[in-house]
Amino acid sequence: MSHEAMETRAEPTRATQAHVAVLGAGNWGTTLAHLIASTGHTVRLWARDAAVVRSINDERVNRRYLDGFSLHAGITATADLASCVQGAELIVMVLPSSAFRSVCQTIAPMLEPWQAVFHATKGVESGSYRRMSQILLEETCIRQYAVISGPNIAREIMEQKPSGTVVASPFPRLTAAAHLLLTSDTFRVYENADVVGVEMGGTLKNVIAIASGISTELGLGENTRSLLVTRGLQEMIRIGRAFGADSSTFSGLAGIGDLMVTCASVHSRNFRLGRGLAQGRNAQEVAESLGMVAEGVYASKVAFDFARDKGIYAPVMGAVYAIVHQARPALEAIDGLMRMQARPDVDFG
Amino acid sequence: MIRESDAPRIAAEVRARVVEQRVRAARHGGRPLEEVLNETLFHERRRLARAPDAEEARGFYHGIASTLPRASDAELQRMLSSVVARYVHEIEGHFDPSIYKIATRVLPVGMAGLLNGFSPRTLAKRGTLPSFDNQIQVEGDVDALRRLTERGTVLYVPTHSSNLDSIILGSGLHQLGLEPATYGAGLNLFENRMVGYFMQNLGAYTVDRLKTDPVYRDTLKEYSTVILEYGRHQLFFPGGTRCRSGALETYLKKGLLGTALSAYTNQLKSGRDRRLYIVPVTVNYPVVLEASTLIDDYLQHSGRSRYIIVDDEFSKLERWASYGRGLLRLNMRIHLRFGAALDPFGNDVTAHGESLDPSGRTIDPSGYLKLAGEVRSDASRDAEYTRMLARRIVASYKDNNVVCATHVVAFALFHALYSREKPKDLYRFLRALGPAVTLRIEDFLPTLRQLLIEVRTLAAAGQIHGADVVATGTAEAVLEQAMRMFGTYHTRPVVVRTGDRLAVDDANLLFYYRNRLEYYGFLGQKTLLKERHEHAERSTL
Repeated sequence: MSHEAMETRAEPTRATQAHVAVLGAGNWGTTLAHLIASTGHTVRLWARDAAVVRSINDERVNRRYLDGFSLHAGITATADLASCVQGAELIVMVLPSSAFRSVCQTIAPMLEPWQAVFHATKGVESGSYRRMSQILLEETCIRQYAVISGPNIAREIMEQKPSGTVVASPFPRLTAAAHLLLTSDTFRVYENADVVGVEMGGTLKNVIAIASGISTELGLGENTRSLLVTRGLQEMIRIGRAFGADSSTFSGLAGIGDLMVTCASVHSRNFRLGRGLAQGRNAQEVAESLGMVAEGVYASKVAFDFARDKGIYAPVMGAVYAIVHQARPALEAIDGLMRMQARPDVDFG
Repeated sequence: MIRESDAPRIAAEVRARVVEQRVRAARHGGRPLEEVLNETLFHERRRLARAPDAEEARGFYHGIASTLPRASDAELQRMLSSVVARYVHEIEGHFDPSIYKIATRVLPVGMAGLLNGFSPRTLAKRGTLPSFDNQIQVEGDVDALRRLTERGTVLYVPTHSSNLDSIILGSGLHQLGLEPATYGAGLNLFENRMVGYFMQNLGAYTVDRLKTDPVYRDTLKEYSTVILEYGRHQLFFPGGTRCRSGALETYLKKGLLGTALSAYTNQLKSGRDRRLYIVPVTVNYPVVLEASTLIDDYLQHSGRSRYIIVDDEFSKLERWASYGRGLLRLNMRIHLRFGAALDPFGNDVTAHGESLDPSGRTIDPSGYLKLAGEVRSDASRDAEYTRMLARRIVASYKDNNVVCATHVVAFALFHALYSREKPKDLYRFLRALGPAVTLRIEDFLPTLRQLLIEVRTLAAAGQIHGADVVATGTAEAVLEQAMRMFGTYHTRPVVVRTGDRLAVDDANLLFYYRNRLEYYGFLGQKTLLKERHEHAERSTL
């Protein structure tokens, strides 16, 4: 054991000598690419959109998704997946959950068994209830994987405000590599072995963020928001446990940590989605005006369907589902919640 | 194939590796050797306290105990080496390569003779041995298997419901003309006098489950690894002991399973790219020799405490004879089904032994062990790889389950009664089943028909297999066959017919046989067993 540890320490302070591939140049993908380049790694960043590629390579900014920040020179953007993925020892996937499987299928022929994948996608596949890491294993030859999740508002990290994230993996080498890839004076990496819990925390908090946005917009006050978020956390834990998560993970950065930021920040897409819904606009319309994917739209359906299939008590998730997918008026849905019989405060044990 | 002259080299290699690992660990802040030896003393003395005729062993450990307090580093290492040498000798003790070659060819037939109801003496007198081949139906892609045994080393990992399993598999390989596989058999099998003679020479090495010393376990694992590296095909039961409930295994022991990956890694490190293949196998019996003992043990919640059962049907000649006669009279078949081979990482392999990714592309599996282009050891990485492999094996068991008339009838009848009585407690329900609880055959057949439809639909997708009448027969024919099978061997006939009604005569056995169809969700039945499961990351379990 310690012999191995000594070997690891003797390595240079870089996670890999080869380049690191980052797939997805949205605001979080771009931010991760910037963090990784800042720790001395060569990064190839894949963007679907040629205009984004040009803006990054020519002007060192991502005008579309992360305007106003100068990006590290170690990043090269490309629209060519193959040249991005091939030869990379580490690949970081930062894609919308709805595109995750199809991108896995596209890159599968380019991947090799010695490569490792980190993903930072917050979502669960609708219908199959597959988590992103499961999809990765199902579709590709990759076996070594890790998940990155936590309270990470991209803009604040770019502004170098102190932040932290969680990396979970069954492979200790990868959690160690994550420190070398990401840790800086203003960005900390915490480890967790519970991949399921970290993936579920990141997914389900988006549904509660919508509820929080709704309550804020309706002017219901801080008590209401706290009630919704706390009861929502209990639902996250119950659903997460049914997926195989460890409940203690929800008290960490990928649970309560992410929930706090996403339920209060004006930067949170799902929070903003909730506000839009409370104004009586429909989900499609609000999501389009955000210009970015609000994962909570998908997550609310997955959470609702799953809770129904498994008989899990999750009224807040149900209310959000009804507002987002069945156009139920927000106030009516919240009223409905208040009329339900009160259950024990803490009952996930 | 292993050569006769390899045996001493294998023993030396195993001893060197186990000692080296312990010495290296001690040097790098792990357990000091003195502590390791003290633990060995603790475990072995506790075991010996209950073992008769162990004077020599007691003397050996007494010697270690008296030297230990004043031992120098060199002495500690020497003592550890002598302990490991002793373990290696016990493990391989019965193995004689020259007998092995002959025995693996003749013995399966000899065992078959026993099953046919001949006594060992009669067998010895007869010039030709009776064939049992008709009673074993081999299924699966045997041509691919044959090629894999030539291309690399094969590790067979069967389901385990009877001590006959290894004999059935041995006979099956013999029937196919494939090289025999060696395996670790519980010491209790050797101690059984009747079976012992056959086992001793069948190429089996010994596993003593009463030895709890971690050094013994290291030695066993290393022995298994080294013989794989020497290219000897091997067989072990990854579920551990015989499954008590009658269900398919859903959780596997990773220790021995991980030896496949260790062997592959060691081979790559020494510059050889001989591949290792893991072949899941299901051994499917219409009627199980030890069913009564196993299910009783399960229901007494003492599966763990009675980890080793020595006084079961396997040790009683008249039960063997009755079992064998029953098989022959009804022409019952034991279905031995080989699942598709996997590489040590759980990937599918082609008929020519190349690893495939999920999209069907050929990949080089050595990459999974490489970092910056070099093969590296990493215990926690390998443990995760082995968990992934375990998931694939468990999924393969489910797909390659060959269900017999007894299983479907037991499942349907149990379901019909269970949903009629709606019991709160399974155990009370089982106790209440008896001659007084009956079901009209007329009312039972629709349930059986529905189950057959569900089984056949799944079978069409290759996710289960129906044996004989289950594949094509009418519900009436399936019931008929199951009744005859149930009536032929078990002391009590499981299910009896009185007029136009069915009654349960042995509720525990009914439960045992229905459990083989657990985990498919047939007839909307929820799972009744509370077994541990591999997380279903890559399977549809």
